[in-house]
Amino acid sequence: MKVLLVEDNERVTQFVVKGLRESGHTADHAANGRDGMFLAASEPYDVIIMDRMLPGDIDGLAIIEALRKSGKRTPILILSALSDVDERIRGLRSGGDDYLTKPFAFGELLARLDALTRRAQGEGAQTKLEVGDLRVDLLTRKVTRGDRNIVLQPREFKLLEYLMRHADQVVTRTMLLENVWDYHFDPQTNVVDVHISKLRQKIDADFERPLLRTVRNAGYTMTTHD
Amino acid sequence: MYSFARSSALTLAVGYISLGLAALALFATPLWYAWRVTVQEGRTEILQADAQLLTDVFRRGGASGLTSYIDTRIGMRIPNERFLLLADAALAPLAGNLRAWPSTMPPHSGSYTLPVQIGGHMTSADFVYVALPGGYNLLVGRDLARYTPLEHRFWGALAGAVGILSVLGTIGGILIRRALMRRIHGIRQTVSAIIKGDLSRRLAIDRSGDELNTLSQTINGMLEQIEQLIQGVRNVSNAIAHDLRTPLAELRARLEELSLTKPSPEQTFSELEAAVADVDRVIRLFNALLRLAEIDSGMRRSGFVALDMAEVAAAAVEFYQPAAELKNCTLTMASNGAAPIRGDPVLLAQALGNLIDNALKYTPEGGSIAVEVRRGPAHSVGVSVADTGPGIPDAEKAKAIERFYRGDASRGTPGVGLGLSLVAAVARLHGSSLQFEDNKPGLRAVIVLQQDSPARSPAADAAEPPSIHDATVLRPTG
Repeated sequence: MKVLLVEDNERVTQFVVKGLRESGHTADHAANGRDGMFLAASEPYDVIIMDRMLPGDIDGLAIIEALRKSGKRTPILILSALSDVDERIRGLRSGGDDYLTKPFAFGELLARLDALTRRAQGEGAQTKLEVGDLRVDLLTRKVTRGDRNIVLQPREFKLLEYLMRHADQVVTRTMLLENVWDYHFDPQTNVVDVHISKLRQKIDADFERPLLRTVRNAGYTMTTHD
Repeated sequence: MYSFARSSALTLAVGYISLGLAALALFATPLWYAWRVTVQEGRTEILQADAQLLTDVFRRGGASGLTSYIDTRIGMRIPNERFLLLADAALAPLAGNLRAWPSTMPPHSGSYTLPVQIGGHMTSADFVYVALPGGYNLLVGRDLARYTPLEHRFWGALAGAVGILSVLGTIGGILIRRALMRRIHGIRQTVSAIIKGDLSRRLAIDRSGDELNTLSQTINGMLEQIEQLIQGVRNVSNAIAHDLRTPLAELRARLEELSLTKPSPEQTFSELEAAVADVDRVIRLFNALLRLAEIDSGMRRSGFVALDMAEVAAAAVEFYQPAAELKNCTLTMASNGAAPIRGDPVLLAQALGNLIDNALKYTPEGGSIAVEVRRGPAHSVGVSVADTGPGIPDAEKAKAIERFYRGDASRGTPGVGLGLSLVAAVARLHGSSLQFEDNKPGLRAVIVLQQDSPARSPAADAAEPPSIHDATVLRPTG
């Protein structure tokens, strides 16, 4: 994917641009609001990473608002050291699609960018999800693997649905907390891992090929690839 | 030492003395006036009566009769005799004790107060002048010097009153000032000690219950609060330093070893990953601290919405259920129906999560944790998390809420010791407090919230400021 990074901190820029390129993406960079605004408005990007506090007279939120007003629908991830819930709300209100607080792990950033671009491509009104021989029917809420029925509790179903919707992407623990449980805080424990292992018991335990895998230092992924 | 001239006691004393003098003046002036008028009138009346008497004598005995009457009367040498003078038409004296007709006397009958020369010295006298038939002139007068001692006594008494008032006022002022200075000196000494760093000092309080005492009590209350805060800050900085030192020391050791031993790329990689994990621990600690500060600042009250506490609790219980199962503990939830309150759903969920997490940490395998949300008397909603763990000794219950505190029994248990502090902060934000009770055995953490009043209906909520919930609406879920 083609990513625009609007960020004035050199180290963060280096770190993100290098990481993106190594993961096979192209990345442009703007170090101030004016350049960022120009690039965002003129080039077709898949996703924009926007720092909130920028040198000069235009800050990140102002750029986002201007872009949205002009009809640009490019997904935007806001990157900021401002961590208060109120600040997050302000960022998302202004037209941002996701909010990541500094300091962050690169894996978290990449996972969120993936999720944003997938979403932008339109997951549409899917009613059936499939990863390998694991099938989920969103209407009847039936889960099958091969020819076997799997009975899930409502929250387990929601967890599986989120993982399957983001198949082949890395999903972080924070993303799961926010999207499956609507918990916008750090519970300081590994409860998410416990939920995952319970789900794994049901969908992977009796099968040769595990689908739900742990990605070290990042989170989890649903995939058939090795 | 302050000089007396600048003391407020002096100002007070001078004020009171002035007020006293003014009152005295207001009191004495009409008295003086009334006395003057009455005495004057009395004097004139007496003189007129005398003049009437002499006129009657004149009518009966003519000029010679009156002359002999006057001569006889003067011959009697009555003490303090009035001035008497009978003069002919040319104002030449015929009889009397005045040598000459006063030159300043107006030429008409009447009462006058005039200066007159008597026995070589000037004095002032009241006169009644009667023009008798046949051109004779009669004068009856009284020397006013007679009244001077009385006037002197009056003024003397007044001056005495003023003097006594001033002296007593000054003494009173000095005494009040001395008493005040003694109290203020005590306060100054205490405050100086506090400025020098001894925060445990308190202002002396006696049993009088006067204004200074009340003020001292208020100040003592403030000092108590400040001392607690400072103590809290001191504990927090100590605890932060302590909790940061461990991961930072590990990180430093790891990196130093890497730079010294230059191990294989695989080993380097795994060491680096461990280093990142160390840094993550530090970041988590700071995030938790920032969140605590955010909650304590009270800003989050803008995020209050109407919510069902029972629902929040049920969700938290469901979230922690697998963790409880993993530890062979039972985690149950009980409520007596919906518990409508106003609050911040994110914070309440986190607080409840922390309580459950804490209970899980300290309950041994096979124990049980019971979460309860109950509507109680007087529109209260009691939220409690009870476990069957070791509990907290009564002496440590208050400390347990302080930032970073961990009961001695739990040293070595993973987790940042901020959990209960956050619960306490969330409870404070919602106008409540975190209490610990004995679960016999185990610990029972209780927060009593206030039920949402029926007046705050959902319709009222429509006009509410933006809430945390809106944020989750903006981001598609699933």
